[in-house]
Amino acid sequence: MKATYEAVFVGSSVMPVHFDTEKCIGCHRCANACQTDILLPIDGKGKPPTVMYPGECWYCGACVMECPTGAISLSHPLMNRARFINADSLGK
Amino acid sequence: MADWPYENRSGKRAEYTCDVLVLGGGLAGCHAAVAAAEAGRRVILVEKGAVIRSGSAGTGFDHWEMACTNPGCRITPEEMTEALVSEQDHYGNRIAHYIEAREGYDRLMDLEKIGGKVRDTGDEFAGAAFRDEKTKLLYAYDYTNRYTLRVWGSTFKPALLRRLKALDVTVLDRTEATALLYADREGRRQCTGAIGMEVRTGEIRVISAKATVLCMSRPARIWLFNADTPGLCEFRPFQSIGSGHAMAWRIGAEFTMMEKSVRGEFSAAGRSFPPYGTGNNHNTWYAATMVDSRGVEIPYVDRDGRELKSVDERYRPAPGQKFFLKGGVIDEPKYEWRGPETLPFDELIRRGYRLPFYADLSRMPDAERRVIWGLMVGEEGKTKIPILKNYTDRGFDPQKHVLQSYGTGWQSAAFLDQERQLFGAPGGLMHDWDLKTNIDGLYAAGDQLYASDCAGFACATGHYAGRKAADAALQLEEVCPDPAQVENEVNRLLAPLDVRRGMDWREVNMACAKAMQNYCGGIRCDDLLHQGLDLIQSLRTEALHEVSAHNPHELMRIHEVSDILDVCELIYRACLARACSCAPLFFERSDSREEMRTQEDGFLTLSNWDGEIRTRMIPHDYAGDLVTSYTERNRDYMRSREGQV
Repeated sequence: MKATYEAVFVGSSVMPVHFDTEKCIGCHRCANACQTDILLPIDGKGKPPTVMYPGECWYCGACVMECPTGAISLSHPLMNRARFINADSLGK
Repeated sequence: MADWPYENRSGKRAEYTCDVLVLGGGLAGCHAAVAAAEAGRRVILVEKGAVIRSGSAGTGFDHWEMACTNPGCRITPEEMTEALVSEQDHYGNRIAHYIEAREGYDRLMDLEKIGGKVRDTGDEFAGAAFRDEKTKLLYAYDYTNRYTLRVWGSTFKPALLRRLKALDVTVLDRTEATALLYADREGRRQCTGAIGMEVRTGEIRVISAKATVLCMSRPARIWLFNADTPGLCEFRPFQSIGSGHAMAWRIGAEFTMMEKSVRGEFSAAGRSFPPYGTGNNHNTWYAATMVDSRGVEIPYVDRDGRELKSVDERYRPAPGQKFFLKGGVIDEPKYEWRGPETLPFDELIRRGYRLPFYADLSRMPDAERRVIWGLMVGEEGKTKIPILKNYTDRGFDPQKHVLQSYGTGWQSAAFLDQERQLFGAPGGLMHDWDLKTNIDGLYAAGDQLYASDCAGFACATGHYAGRKAADAALQLEEVCPDPAQVENEVNRLLAPLDVRRGMDWREVNMACAKAMQNYCGGIRCDDLLHQGLDLIQSLRTEALHEVSAHNPHELMRIHEVSDILDVCELIYRACLARACSCAPLFFERSDSREEMRTQEDGFLTLSNWDGEIRTRMIPHDYAGDLVTSYTERNRDYMRSREGQV
């Protein structure tokens, strides 16, 4: 018997990419450039894809590079935000 | 829960035929496909992601190593190859490194012709010490000997995809290759194509080919796994987990150095940070100025401990030294090739330097700062958006800020000994001078080969393997797929769809990683290795059958875990086969049989011949004389490049 497919969200403690819904034109070029295939066009053309498997993101930025309107931002998990400080403040 | 957004083609089959099949569409695979298509063969390229940005260098790479035939280089391909292999205590890949050193620059010139950016055409770095004003090529590391080039690698994959289309290569994106087809004739085994699954629809794809090139990177998620952020747990792409190794192992291909693993170096799922995203002075960041928490500059010294006064000296060999080695697989080189380096950590602490340390580009000459932050960080894989843009958006200004380094090493990492990785020129497929495996019609390139290196290595060996596979396709016959092999594979691939409310693939991957850490960690012995092997086999025969999938995406992840289990078995078998500890392979036994040491000084190979494990020793110098061996086999290629600059 032919199996029925279902799209089931697989949660994670992180959300690597965010879509600016004002800028997103729902072209899904990001979904087709995503190497781990975590962006699913659940709501159809014209709408941002759903980040269905956020934990599987490998933070390459291909989706951001492909986006024609600059609608996608990528942010690292909190634990991975390396610290930088003013050079002038060293030793003070 | 929602409807699956793609067509359901579960159980449907599509059949393809070609002369040369390339599995894996990263740099190696694209070059193999281009070379075979340029030779006039019908080519199919299979890629699990999407070729436009797939592979380890999909979003870029910044430095091209061992480009020894570039016009500025003062080191010959022979010198470079022997130095690199000697540096690796002869557990290096002489054939592949020689191909890289001899043909790498040809590949760069090809890439430039199709739209890749390889020189400073915009004169951004005019007058810099690392720039050749005539050719506008930019050099890294050793500015005197000029064997490494700084390149704009983010331009390469889109250019290669355009080239593949222009050559009428059939590109099957979103297709995971899962098994190699084979036929046995007159005592020899021939690879006759592959089976795969479209990962959005579940369609089964059966591809017959006269010759096949494996370019599917190296295994990962063996010791390191994190069920919450699995995408971050390794250095190489999340989807590159060694399926090429697993598939080849299952049909009897011969591997070597699979007993080699190193203490983990990168896993941003906990133990380290985004690659190239912390203050350091190695690789992409060489030779950044480092300071301590008081703002005191950390000295660079040459191999003799002489303190270097200028930034320029960090890029020059020591007095009396011809050249030094730096790059992807070079960590702590021997004296002969040791380049400038900051003082060792222990010495810094003895002298009163205070943690944490920082990279301080603000103190560097303008061109050196801009080439590290802007070109290197920007073009290196996973840096254009995740580091350069992200940090800039957060306010990082390299003229004002210093970037923190964590811990005591340049990786900003803190791994335990049992948290291991296949890194730093790990094991892979054994091959001959044609990059052919022991299976007829089966070739390999890039990280699929043993002791592989970086992007230039992938491009050079990919093109070379593609040429040789194209030649072989003229001699080999097309063989119809064996119906039994296809049927078995289809059943295996789709089985998890029939399991209801079963286990999650991540649970098995985690169990596997823990089994590897417990039984195949930093120190091995026969008793533990046998237990570990039993546990891995029970995960395969029991747990794997309890895993369920709701859709083809989840099926793909389960297939990956199945391949990971095969790779674990390969690693256990390789560890069991080597009786004596071997420092160059980072292989340590508590029950080392020292009497075996002299007999084991070579490439120990193993293959799985329908359940029988076969081993043999191959001497380190099996490649013979480099120039003679290469020339004998590549006269046509050498003629074709004559007159090209």
